[in-house]
Amino acid sequence: MKEHDPFYLAMIKAASQTFENMAFMEVMEHFNPAYEIPADEVVWNSLQVNDPVQGEIRLAVAKTCLKTLTGTIFGIAEDEITSTQMNDILNELLNTIVGLFLTNLCADDQEYKMGLPALGEGELPEVDAQTVSWKLMSSEEDALHIFATGTSLVALNNH
Amino acid sequence: MKRIIIADDSATARMFIKRCLQIIGLGEAEIIEAEHGKEALTAAKAQDIDLLLTDLNMPVMDGETLVKWIKASPKLCGLPIIVITSAGNPAKEAKLLELGAHRVLNKPVSPPVMMDALAEFLDK
Repeated sequence: MKEHDPFYLAMIKAASQTFENMAFMEVMEHFNPAYEIPADEVVWNSLQVNDPVQGEIRLAVAKTCLKTLTGTIFGIAEDEITSTQMNDILNELLNTIVGLFLTNLCADDQEYKMGLPALGEGELPEVDAQTVSWKLMSSEEDALHIFATGTSLVALNNH
Repeated sequence: MKRIIIADDSATARMFIKRCLQIIGLGEAEIIEAEHGKEALTAAKAQDIDLLLTDLNMPVMDGETLVKWIKASPKLCGLPIIVITSAGNPAKEAKLLELGAHRVLNKPVSPPVMMDALAEFLDK
């Protein structure tokens, strides 16, 4: 069962800790695992994991959710929020989630290297058989999706 | 007045650190923000700095390189450095401490952790 899988749990723990500490928001598994954020609403970014395994992790949220998060984190009204602030929040969230995820997964003496977060362009890439996904939601029921791809990264899922 | 450099490519991260500094009573400190290590190094050479808080994963010049440059500089080698990173683990922390960083904190850093880390450097 994936609920007991260290790889799966490492991401849940990383996302929960990140959203709780940065946005004061509780994150849990989505009650509907088949839920997809509508394509015209989704914003996403990605970050490369370079060492000791190679892969990519993507974070996708709805624009409305990202706007709420930005307002909460910066402590400003919605009409003051800029797209730069929203993009920066999304990147910092992913950067922190991936760092905690790798810390949770790797041995203490294992160094890892990750790239810089980059905003996604166009539609969210399709999920293939090699992709592990986490369908999460906030306590406000805003959907947060995380995807991990890359053969050697995803292979950790089976260890 | 204390003068502190915050080096992080994320405005969000810099804002978080500034908020932590305010919460722990350092709201009056002069904060110099840098988006990467090179900018931080230039700022540190230009004026007297009490503390450097730096991210690790940055464009242009990363935090590890910044630590090396500062520790190699006769003028700056005594500057206390706290690395705040999302890419930290015991192996990385040991390496950074060996290079000359004074503390390594993991993101997301909370005000009590920040207060504990800063106390020994800013009470002097």
